[in-house]
Amino acid sequence: MSAAVRGGSGRQTAAAWILTLPFVVLFLAFTAGPVLGSLGMSFTDLRQRDLRTPFAVNGVGLDNYLKALSDETFRKAALNTAYFVLVGVPLTLGLALAAALLLDRGVKRFQSLFKVGYYLPVITSIVAIAVIWRFVLSPDAGLLNTVLSWIGVDGPNWLASETWAMPSLIMMAVWRNFGSAMIIFLAGLQGIPQTVEEAGQLDGAGSWQRFRYLILPLLRPTVLFTSVTTGIGYLQFFEEPFVMTQGGPLNSTISVSMYTYQQFGFGNYGLATSMSYLLFVVIAVVTFVQFRLLREK
Amino acid sequence: MFTPTTRRRLVIGGAALTATALVLTGCGRSAETGEAAPKATTSVGDGPATGELTVWAMGTEGENLPKLTAAFEQANPGVKVKVTPIPWDAAHSKFTTAITARTTPDAAMVGTTWMGEFADLDALDPTPGNIDTAGFFEGANETTKVGGTSYGVPWYVETRLVYYRKDLAAKAGITTPPTDWEGLKAMAKAMQEKAGAKYGINLQPGGTGSWQTVMPFAWSAGAAITGDDQKEFTFDTPEMQEGLKYYQSFFTDKLAGTDLPPNQTEAQFVSGQVPMFISGPWMAGSVAKLGGEAMKKNIGVFQLPKNRTATSFVGGSNFVVFKNGKNKDSAWKLVKWLSDAKTQAQWFKLSTDLPAVKTAWEDPSIANDPLLPVFGKQLEDAKAPPAIVNWEQVATAFDAEVEKMAKSGQSPADTAKAIQTKAASIGTGS
Repeated sequence: MSAAVRGGSGRQTAAAWILTLPFVVLFLAFTAGPVLGSLGMSFTDLRQRDLRTPFAVNGVGLDNYLKALSDETFRKAALNTAYFVLVGVPLTLGLALAAALLLDRGVKRFQSLFKVGYYLPVITSIVAIAVIWRFVLSPDAGLLNTVLSWIGVDGPNWLASETWAMPSLIMMAVWRNFGSAMIIFLAGLQGIPQTVEEAGQLDGAGSWQRFRYLILPLLRPTVLFTSVTTGIGYLQFFEEPFVMTQGGPLNSTISVSMYTYQQFGFGNYGLATSMSYLLFVVIAVVTFVQFRLLREK
Repeated sequence: MFTPTTRRRLVIGGAALTATALVLTGCGRSAETGEAAPKATTSVGDGPATGELTVWAMGTEGENLPKLTAAFEQANPGVKVKVTPIPWDAAHSKFTTAITARTTPDAAMVGTTWMGEFADLDALDPTPGNIDTAGFFEGANETTKVGGTSYGVPWYVETRLVYYRKDLAAKAGITTPPTDWEGLKAMAKAMQEKAGAKYGINLQPGGTGSWQTVMPFAWSAGAAITGDDQKEFTFDTPEMQEGLKYYQSFFTDKLAGTDLPPNQTEAQFVSGQVPMFISGPWMAGSVAKLGGEAMKKNIGVFQLPKNRTATSFVGGSNFVVFKNGKNKDSAWKLVKWLSDAKTQAQWFKLSTDLPAVKTAWEDPSIANDPLLPVFGKQLEDAKAPPAIVNWEQVATAFDAEVEKMAKSGQSPADTAKAIQTKAASIGTGS
């Protein structure tokens, strides 16, 4: 391709252009255009009713960004999102890796059954999941509190408690999401040649040592991939609070995405897009840091 | 990949392309606004309706409406009514999208709290002068008015009453329902102490829509959401605080709970755990469905208790005609026909939606019901929030502050102040 563009004959260049044109046009129309448009929008006071005269809106500079940052609820949403990511991502990845190791080593006979079982929540509709978890988390007759009562613990009213609502949602999100990371870990594990471990065994390394000094370093690219994708997904925390708590009680589960969505619903397009861009910047920074920490040395 | 020059050319070309596209659409839009806007219909003609009419309606109303419009088509052989049912949770955005894109139907059912917003978007046709609005309940009629102009007619109404368990009330020694604030509280207390209830009454401790239960108490104490011109919010007043204080006292006295799972009002009512709540007419049906025949005779309702007034909340839906519809005259004929007392009584039998026209309540299917006439009486004193553009946003702020008041003990004075501050920064939108 590069040769064709740079030094090739005119006909080849034309062919290259024709072949890439559909992508370029679609990309400009449906990705680059809207992205630039929304970036511009975030510096205006655009509201729903202005949509019919979009060039009559006023530029307001950084006002929307300052307004978002000084908004008490937005800051609460940012804290909640950070809480969710900092607790949720390590839990998800840890559980995914543990499950992948067990499946990789475990009894081959049930392997596909477990693979399907752990992966099923990933592809199940969030509404169906919400129904199940409402039953699990119900304060009086719920599964969780019933089990807790067997060991003499009086379980809280999970979703209605300011302290417990977020842990409940994290529990639900980890259960729902660890399957996809597990599948990728499993692929990574199966890509490590058996001989590596055999060599370790011959050198007298115990199973923890083999995991720590052989398997984990070889899994580094897989860990990078899963932590970046899971991290981005969790930063966009939305469905769980949206279907389970609507951000309550007392805004203890409202997330940045949810608050942004709410502002879009109110027709405050300028403010809402500025919030999206703030989240975008955070995601970019977090991803950059992850690449720095986990890249191949 | 690309050389610097080709890349630059690509970027510039792309930017130019987007820019032209934006300018083109921009021009298209503004040219369109420059056109003479479709004239408002000032009176409905006498002849039969003709042509094709598209109508949108939400939820079960959307599913049942075709049965009703079939009769309209029979009376007006030249007309064809096409009803599109829309799910409630998608309706608001579908309407605003259609308004922006000018692809609205001819007529539609519209939630009462959306009137201000849609009128502000210049989407609604003012109600023609020869549609008689005197027969509607006053509170319902008010919901069609935005800035003094009426857009559309009330289609069906609902209002809130206090529901109670008759058998448990008897056990608690209460034979006649209370009529004032003190009485309601005493009754809740008696339910708890003598009838074995966990909580005397179920009140929403904040959260979505709780303003609909809080405002009636504030209205009854003399509060108002805005001044008369609907330009300024008036949440921070002694009257508002009085209403909030009364509402909060149910939580501080442990007569109402903040720890009940939501959406289980019916179950708690049937089990006797919480034998009172404040809600609309649909609850009679869902309680009876859950509790069976035996429960039916134990459901009682009474009007909201009185402070200065005994004002409840009026909700429901209006029927509107859109300004840029092609068949407005026939659309208004349909709306006029829908607000006829006979049609309204027939609609009640199809949908159990309560008629907005007073005379329709004389129909035996309503008048002989054990509960419904009480709703009719309450409708004589029922209010809706003013039709302001930003109401949904203000209501969300209101709900959040009520939650703080009920759950974390924020004082009524601070609550009123916080609602006022937030509402003022949101603005009425006009």
